[in-house]
Formats: sequence, structure tokens, C-alpha cells
Amino acid sequence: MKLTRIAAASVAALVSVGVVLGVAGCAPATDTTSKPIVIGSQAYYSNEIIAEAYAQVLEDGGFTVDRQFSLGQRDVYVPALLAGEIDLFPEYTGNLLQFFDPAATATATNDVYAALKTALPKGLTALDMSPATDQDSYNVTQDFAKANGLESIADLAKLTNLKLGGAPELAERPYGPKGLLEKYGVTVSFEATGDTTVDSLVAGMVDMANVYSADPRIQQLKLVTLADPQGLFLASNVVPIASDNVNDKARSLVNAVSSAMTAQDLVALNVRSVDEKLSASVIAHDWLVSKGLLTK
Amino acid sequence: MFSAEETLAWLTNTANWDGRYGLWNLIAEHLALTFVALAIAAVIAVPLGLATGHTGRGEFAVLGAGSLSRSIPTMGLLFALVLLIGVQFRDLAVVLALVVIAVPPILAGVHSGVTTIPPPIRDAARAQGMTTWQVVRFVEVPLSLASSIGGLRIAYIQVFATVVIAPLVGLGGLGFGIVQGLALRNFPQVVASAAIIIVLTVLGDRILGLLQKRAGAKFEETQLMEKK
Repeated sequence: MKLTRIAAASVAALVSVGVVLGVAGCAPATDTTSKPIVIGSQAYYSNEIIAEAYAQVLEDGGFTVDRQFSLGQRDVYVPALLAGEIDLFPEYTGNLLQFFDPAATATATNDVYAALKTALPKGLTALDMSPATDQDSYNVTQDFAKANGLESIADLAKLTNLKLGGAPELAERPYGPKGLLEKYGVTVSFEATGDTTVDSLVAGMVDMANVYSADPRIQQLKLVTLADPQGLFLASNVVPIASDNVNDKARSLVNAVSSAMTAQDLVALNVRSVDEKLSASVIAHDWLVSKGLLTK
Repeated sequence: MFSAEETLAWLTNTANWDGRYGLWNLIAEHLALTFVALAIAAVIAVPLGLATGHTGRGEFAVLGAGSLSRSIPTMGLLFALVLLIGVQFRDLAVVLALVVIAVPPILAGVHSGVTTIPPPIRDAARAQGMTTWQVVRFVEVPLSLASSIGGLRIAYIQVFATVVIAPLVGLGGLGFGIVQGLALRNFPQVVASAAIIIVLTVLGDRILGLLQKRAGAKFEETQLMEKK
């Protein structure tokens, strides 16, 4: 797989060099003469929309980009980032910090961002973080919240026989059952509900579920996200991770995208993807135009 | 990434064997899903295979079922079934998805087992005054047994290897250690879980292989008798 990617990249490089030499022989020199910026994304529709937004502003700014989307999870793409095969990647401050430093203790937004900057390996830079967040959160159904008077995770302490649903790895995460007990004195039994977590919550098979905060289903299904006053979850803001191949001009273009994207924007983008089934490029384009970051 | 010592250490830690998602529980769940699916598939496929084999009709359907089930992506089918019948019945969805892949090999095994019985044997049985039911019961079933167990053997391997996707819809089974281990970068857990799956797959295959051989020996006996 690595070989094919390298082969594809070399072909793309050759072609772009050919195009530049042949067509733009006497045109004024632009940034496109350098090698294209390879943009990656996770195999997560929301992440791909953000990556697509980066790609479109960079193309608009005269850069050549190579989209390598849907690269799976961190285990797959972080080595590629470190090897210089990918130059730009939309990431999340908290989750990425936990990846590089599993013992990290920071949970507040700015602390996490600062810790991430120091935890990143050489050659990778965290650009400006966005106000948009997509982080783990505990959610209950509206009925369950009303019946038990729940607003915050702390309110759960009075309940017994609580069932928590989430991905299998939640069992071992610091914010999983152990963290709930330590920070809030809440005892839960864990059900690994995997990809059916939200459905299991709605069906009443679990009482509380770990859902990403930008998940459109929180709004659609009227789930109640429990407040986290003790900072159990790491703040996880959208943050572009760039290699040294991304120059200052490109960085400022990407930073403009980050600062324009609010938390509500991100949820709205996700809703369009889930409800209207539009492609990432259409959703990203419309949003960039609405923010004045693209002209048409 | 892979370290034999760490994997062994993970395997020998009793904490990893106990509890809701401990290995004992996961192995039991994995075997239960496999055997329930195989039993349902056998109930469907054995009578069907005997019928098509006995009448010699429906060979087209038997072959078609085989290639059709191979072309259905099991994971897609599983998610579709969960959506269709509801997450409360996800056990049923997993079993149904497994039955779909288990029926064709059993069906093919029974069918070809019956059709390859030398015609003189069946003719002799009829000449003795056996009814159709008696021919099926006392001639075709025992003589096709080896081939039928061969089909079951293939079904077992395919089903046992596919139960690994059950954790994706919130069930257990040995795939749990792979899904959880990958997310947590706990590679000893991934390797240990995969190793257990391989061992149990090969073990089950060998046991069914022995049964197949014994059933086959009986078949040979009858053929020898026929020659004498």
C-alpha cells in the first residue's frame, strides 16, 4: 500500500512537473513549482469535509494539492505524516495529544493546545486551532435526563445500575468507567456497543453513551449532553497539523479556515453530510463561499 | 510492533481472561455464535441438499447459492440486517448474516455427496423393495455423510473467521480484542486474540476432518463390498 502511494505520488509529481514546464513555460513563477501539498483525512466524513475546505482554499491560493482522504485512523496515517508522505491533516487537539502522550493530564482547551505543541514530534507543527470542537461527550436520552433530573455527569452519582455504551476501547480510556468513578464517584457497567452506540442508547439498551460532540444525531434525536464540570474529557478542538512542506502563505490560508469555523458551523456541516448526503467537496465549497473565503 | 514476549505476557495475565470482556467469555461467545449459525444453516441446507441430490434437480440453484453468497459482502449485510431488524436483535442479525455464508458450503457438500453415490447402489436398494424414504434414510444419508461433513468443515472455517466482525455491532467474540487492541495500540492483545482465533479455527477444522475421514472409511467399505 505504501508502495502504491509512493508510485501514485511520483506519477502525480511527474505529471505536474510536465504541466508546469510545458504550459507555464513563460508564465510568472508561482508556488506551484514546488511539490504538491498532500492533504490527508481520517475515514470520518466530518474530518474529510474539513480537509476538503483546506484543499479548496489552497487551490484557490495557487497551490497544487493532492487529496489522500479516508486514510483510516491515527495508527495508519500518523506514520505517513512522520515519513513526510502527507503534509497537511485536520486533527483534534485532545485526541492527538493523547496519541502522542498517553499520560497527558491537561483537559482545558488552551492547556491541551499548549501540551500538544510540545508533544508533537519534530517536523510537524500544529497551526492555529479552531473554535470548533469535536470531542468525546456523555449523552443520555431526553426522557432519561428528565426522569432523573440530569444536567451534569456529577448528577449520575445518585443512580445505580448505570450502563455505559461506547466503542470497545472506551473500557480502557482515562475518561471511561475508571475516570467516571475517580472524578465523579459514578459507577457504571460497560457495554461495548461499537458502531451501534447511538442506536443502543435510543433503544434503551444502555443508559448513557459516548458520542462525539459534533455528531448531528445529538440534535436530531434530542440527546442531552451531560456537562463535564470536572474536566473528565480532554478538550478537542479542530487543529491543522502541517509538515515543513507547507509554507507560510499556505499556513495563513489554512489558519483563516480554522478561525472562521465555529462549533455550530461544524455541526451544521455534519448535518448536511448526514441529511442531504452531499459530497464533502460541495459542503466545503458552500461553507467557504458563505464565509467569504472563496469567491464563487 | 510485534513482540512474542509481550504477547505471551498478555496471554498469561489472568486479568485478561476474566470479566465481561475477558477471554473466557469472548471464546464462549465466539463458539456460541458459530455453532448456533451452523446448526440453523444445517437445518436448512441438509434437507435441501438431500432433495436436490436425490432428484438430481436444482444443481443450478446449488451452484448459484454458492457463488451468490461469496459475492455478498458480509459486513454490509450485517449492518443492513441490524438496521432492518433493530439493534435490540443484533444477535439475530449476526446469526442470520452467518447463516447466509454457512448454507452454501453445507448444501454443496450434501448435494455432491448424494449425486456421487454410484447408481448401482441406489438401484440395488430399490430392487430390494426400499421406498424412496428408505433409500434416502439408509443409503443416501450414510453414504453422503463424508461429503456433508466436508461441507460443514468449510462452513465452520468461514463462519468462525467471520464472527470476528461481531464487535462492530456491539457483540463480543474474539474480534473484540482485535478492535479494542487496535484502537488502544495494545498490539500484544491484538496478536493474542488473532492467535486464539487461528488455533480454534485449525482445531475445529481438524476435528471435523477426523469425523469426515471416519465417515469416508465407511463409504469405502460399501464400495469394496460392491466390487466383491
